Amino acid sequence: MSTTDVLSVTGLRVAFGQVEAVRGIDFTVAEGEILALVGESGSGKSVTARAVLGLLPAGASVRGSARLGEQELVGAEEETLRQVRGQQVAMVFQEPATALNPVHTIGWQIAAVLRAHQQLSKADASREAVRLLELVGIPEPATRVRHYPHQLSGGQKQRVVIAIALANNPRLIIADEPTTALDVTVQAEILSLLRDLRDRLGTAILLITHNMGVVADLADRVAVMRQGELVEQAPVEDLFARPARAYTQELLAAVPRLGHRAPSAVPVADLALHLDQVVVHYKDFVAVDKVDLRIGQGEVVGLVGESGSGKSTIGKVAAGLLRTSSGSVTVLGTDPISARPRIGFIFQDPGGSLNPRMSIADCIGEPLRVHKAARGKQYRDRIADLLDSVRLPTSYTHRRPKELSGGQRQRVGIARALALNPALLIADEPTSALDVSVQAAVLELVTDLQQTLGFACLFISHDLAVVDNLAHRVTVLHQGRVVEEGPHHEVLRTPTAPYTRRLVAAIPIPDPIE
Amino acid sequence: MTATLETPEPVEVAVPVRPKTFLRGKGLVGLVLVGLVIAAGLIGPLLVSWDPYEQIPGANLLGPSGTHLLGTDDLNRDILARLLAGIRVDLLIGFTAVPFGALLGCAIGALATVNNVLDVAVQRLFDVLLAFPQLILAIGLAAVIGPGTTSVVIVIVCVEVPIFGRLLRTAVLRVRESQFVTASEVIGAGKAHVLRHHVLPNSLEPALVQLALSLSVAVFIEGAMSVLGIGVSPPHPSIGAVLTTSLRYLDLNPLFAIGPLVVTAVLVLGFQLIAQATNAARGA
Repeated sequence: MSTTDVLSVTGLRVAFGQVEAVRGIDFTVAEGEILALVGESGSGKSVTARAVLGLLPAGASVRGSARLGEQELVGAEEETLRQVRGQQVAMVFQEPATALNPVHTIGWQIAAVLRAHQQLSKADASREAVRLLELVGIPEPATRVRHYPHQLSGGQKQRVVIAIALANNPRLIIADEPTTALDVTVQAEILSLLRDLRDRLGTAILLITHNMGVVADLADRVAVMRQGELVEQAPVEDLFARPARAYTQELLAAVPRLGHRAPSAVPVADLALHLDQVVVHYKDFVAVDKVDLRIGQGEVVGLVGESGSGKSTIGKVAAGLLRTSSGSVTVLGTDPISARPRIGFIFQDPGGSLNPRMSIADCIGEPLRVHKAARGKQYRDRIADLLDSVRLPTSYTHRRPKELSGGQRQRVGIARALALNPALLIADEPTSALDVSVQAAVLELVTDLQQTLGFACLFISHDLAVVDNLAHRVTVLHQGRVVEEGPHHEVLRTPTAPYTRRLVAAIPIPDPIE
Repeated sequence: MTATLETPEPVEVAVPVRPKTFLRGKGLVGLVLVGLVIAAGLIGPLLVSWDPYEQIPGANLLGPSGTHLLGTDDLNRDILARLLAGIRVDLLIGFTAVPFGALLGCAIGALATVNNVLDVAVQRLFDVLLAFPQLILAIGLAAVIGPGTTSVVIVIVCVEVPIFGRLLRTAVLRVRESQFVTASEVIGAGKAHVLRHHVLPNSLEPALVQLALSLSVAVFIEGAMSVLGIGVSPPHPSIGAVLTTSLRYLDLNPLFAIGPLVVTAVLVLGFQLIAQATNAARGA
């Protein structure tokens, strides 16, 4: 162990009962270094971070060693750990909205952390809170200290969480998916803040993330985890340029990238979906404001935008789940509700959109039963065909949704959407709940199916790279309005509207050199 | 896409094992306790040679003995025979009135959610029913329809309907917001289809727990109504009736009360344990 290592972990093992979540991993974080711990869900990256701070639930058994400087943290007394947490190691959580206490002002919360570890008067603590808010780039910090969390935006809340983490000049910050809950433009700001803080304060950062773009943007070194083991550890440029292990190569290959697909378009004859000057109000809030949208038969249109842009609302309007306040919606030449037998809908959360008490066969066959489209042998054959087309084994028919993985559940969702041979498929963020390698497989499946079956598709996503790889045309939404619309390669590679340009620029590129 | 990953991805999902709720712990104890009482009610009367209505000459208020295990009451009847016959009456009341009240309550609670006006009306009606303490409701109803087994059943049904109605309404409202319900609406399924296939099957779990709890409450209500003199009418036996008689002679022979008290306690405890075990199994 070199003298500048802030954290050195050797042979760390964590087990929950019989299940080993982390199986003997070694890594170090040097002073002023950003180490990214990447991996897909269930790889044990968050468990590792929590084990270091002694924050695991009582049932977990931790073995091995995690040394902070000269101090052993594994098996340390609760009192020792309490001194370490917040003072020497601080944590930034994924969801800033729940990491802050809603009934106290942010100034109070920063001061509380300061006074927990330092002898400070109230006045000194609140002066220090103002300084910290200024440090993390909150405008007008002197008035902002008196604000409550709900008065701040998501990005500002995450800045406050970072300010709290910085309060006692920790040697190490553990950031667990610090930007996953944020929009891409806000994510870019938070990433540059973290990089800036490391440069100015020399704090070491252990960054836990699944996003390869974030890794390339921020990290100095990368450690790739899979199923509780460390697959590969390398400086970020080396890892991206020459991944040594097959798993790392697969992981990098699965990351969707902008501008890697040849321009593609289909001739548009009849319209599958036509939105004309559509307005949707939620009470006083205008969610969708005079939106025009056309999708031709056999065409894939990507609808992109940040949270609150109204993209999901448009999906619901097209499926007839929401009424418009004004404007007209035409689906396959008729209104959305009469067109339902010819619309397929894929949901974001594959778990929540399947009835937990139904078997896979019942889930997939529901549209057929509702519309009495098939029965008896014909019905069973159709289900077998559908399972086959989404590449699930037919032996799965009797399983419950709980007995499938996330990607498999989404395949079931796709099979259900395709059951009635839809002419229009609406996919609302179908892959954002999935791991990157699973996402790649699901997207490939959707693309294949679209090409063989030729349905029109409204593909709603916040991920521009995913849309670029799939759509023929792209519509960009911002605060309920269409800001830009056109062929995918033009909108996403040479954007003209200022908002689209900002959006494209904010995407962390999964390549450390760019 | 540039990725060429093997599809479908390997299965690594731990298939959750159904916990054997009723094969160990609270669930098992509860089942055994309730099972013992039911067995006593079913088989017991066949083993006791006395008839629960028979007045035995010269056997007035006798203490426990070899011939009368729990003694005899003020009308010279064998208490054990009356108690065992009483268990049958109580179980019959409980197992008819509670499921009937539950069904009625669930049906009203679920159907009311279809229409907003109906929902408000039904909720206020439930409020009125729930505002009455159970025994006041019992006294009121008995005053109108007279005491007897029928009024015990009616009181239990009246007590259970709002409880189950509320419970199911809440569950239905929660499940109705689930994405699989939206998914079903998108494919054009009607309200009846959604209610039958998606909403109801996912809403009934809390009602199952409540069913066990309500069975124990039914035993209480029957006992309390007997003590108040508005329950199962004499000379018919019931746990409550036997207890009422014994209470009057507590100073003469405290042992009279032990039989009905033990049966009540075992039955209530058993049902409560079953309810707890069912509730625990829901979480899994």
